[in-house]
Amino acid sequence: MSHNDAIKQFIISEFLPDLTTDQLDDDHDLLADSVIDSIGTLKLISWVENNFDLAVEDTEMNPENFRTVTAISAFITERRQRRGVEPQDV
Amino acid sequence: MRSDRTPLGERILDQARDRPAAPALVWHGQETSYGHLHHRTQAQRTRLERVEPEFDRPLGIWAAKSPEAVALVLACLCDERPFLLLPTDLPSDTATDLARKAGCRFILPATGDPEQVHTPEEWTRQRIPDGTTFMLTTSGSTGRPKIVPLGGAAVGRFMDWAGPAFDLGPGTTVLNHAPLSFDLCLFDIWTSLAHGARVVLVDPEYAAQGRHLLKLIVTHEVTVMQAVPMAYGLLLDAARAADTPLAGVRHAIVTGDVLPERTHAGLTWLLPRARAHNVYGCTETNDSFRHEITGTETHRDGGLPIGSPIPGVRALVLDDNGEEVTHAGTGELYVCTPFQSEGYLDRGLRSDAFLSHPLGRDERQWYRTGDLVRREADGSIRLLGRVDFQVKIRGVAVNLAEVERTLLSHPDVLEAGVTTVPDPVAGRALLSVIRRTQESELTSLSLRRHCVQRLPRAFVPTNFRVLDEALPRTSTGKVDRTALDRL
Repeated sequence: MSHNDAIKQFIISEFLPDLTTDQLDDDHDLLADSVIDSIGTLKLISWVENNFDLAVEDTEMNPENFRTVTAISAFITERRQRRGVEPQDV
Repeated sequence: MRSDRTPLGERILDQARDRPAAPALVWHGQETSYGHLHHRTQAQRTRLERVEPEFDRPLGIWAAKSPEAVALVLACLCDERPFLLLPTDLPSDTATDLARKAGCRFILPATGDPEQVHTPEEWTRQRIPDGTTFMLTTSGSTGRPKIVPLGGAAVGRFMDWAGPAFDLGPGTTVLNHAPLSFDLCLFDIWTSLAHGARVVLVDPEYAAQGRHLLKLIVTHEVTVMQAVPMAYGLLLDAARAADTPLAGVRHAIVTGDVLPERTHAGLTWLLPRARAHNVYGCTETNDSFRHEITGTETHRDGGLPIGSPIPGVRALVLDDNGEEVTHAGTGELYVCTPFQSEGYLDRGLRSDAFLSHPLGRDERQWYRTGDLVRREADGSIRLLGRVDFQVKIRGVAVNLAEVERTLLSHPDVLEAGVTTVPDPVAGRALLSVIRRTQESELTSLSLRRHCVQRLPRAFVPTNFRVLDEALPRTSTGKVDRTALDRL
């Protein structure tokens, strides 16, 4: 399942409050435009952790995982699937 | 330590001769020994000779942090070549323009092909002060970056002070948080290496991740660190979450900005065994004032005391009438340090910044900081802000008027105002408010792109507000920056 809409809504409410969802492309490079800077990345990660019940490891904080709405969505889907097949670490 | 005349690079490579196996750098968990760093430096010297056979012609260096980039800078220091460290977040046109102004023919990355910025025909020699080593850039009050050349002797004097002052030596591990182009590296990379310490290089990509910083400090047993207040705020949050204070740190330097009250309050818990120092300085003069943080001092007017001048530094506070403030009072801070630049490369830029003693009391060159300060009756100093429109955002001096000019250069922007708003993590963030033209469909996203293409990253506002109504004005008709955050 794709999480694009929820992600987009969060990004817009947090960083681009004057936009509507159709004004933000799924593949818009959020880092190149510094819509999300290093502190924004932290906010986004904490939102992902809380909303999708995931723990983002330090090694996954690679900015590439958060470059576009599509990339964020893929990262969440991939993490949730991985958790589905593997028992969760304690 | 060898004398003032010794090239800085040789001082560092002495460590390689005496202790080749000792660790010099840590980067992504990998150690580089002094011996290996020496070997890489020699390879870079050979490369440089091929690229630019004339040793007195400056080289532009693309300052992306890595051990190889450290070796490239060391190669320049060994050969006493002047070099311009270009911040990696500069728009590429600005970087090329700066390199040209410094008289560079090439910009070199740490590895790979040099970029030619001047053809042999159009290259002209620029007047660079004798003995120039580092050329750093500062955004300063005009917003356009200015080049600050630093003499080898001045940097050597800084190393001679800072090494012993913060107990740098073999067995010390220093955290380098700032990007390679920042003046802070003069301490945490170059002074550390000159004294044989081990430097843990933080990858700028991860520099705002508290958990990452915490892990680096704990894993590599960092004993000395220097960073902007924001880094301490991030570390405090991460360390509290992990219930892991930084018990191994002996000296912690806070610099580049005002320490937020919340971070100040947590500092004695975060650094139980460290001496914490609030250090004030500018790129032009290097460190000038130091205050040892006790944790019990009060915040007033937005900040901690910056304390008193470092040994060898002279300071003066002048009021609006140009008279010295000798008791309690406010005024602009002037300093004269043993570490300072002789002036900007382009003398036309902010030509009143470097001047003779404003009251004619000595023959030295002084620097007008542009910082508004309060002098207490006991002589201690607190920063109040800027006399012009400059603010510090995460350690970078940002000129509000320059950001406004850039916003106004967008065809759909009628009015623009920029101010700072408190930010729980960064301390301060930029807020820009604009009024767009009628019928315009301008959004914050396209405005942001406009800024990113024209300004250094720190100048790009965090928050954009796009309005269709007129902005508030002061009685003199200027956009009222103080009213923007209420819109």
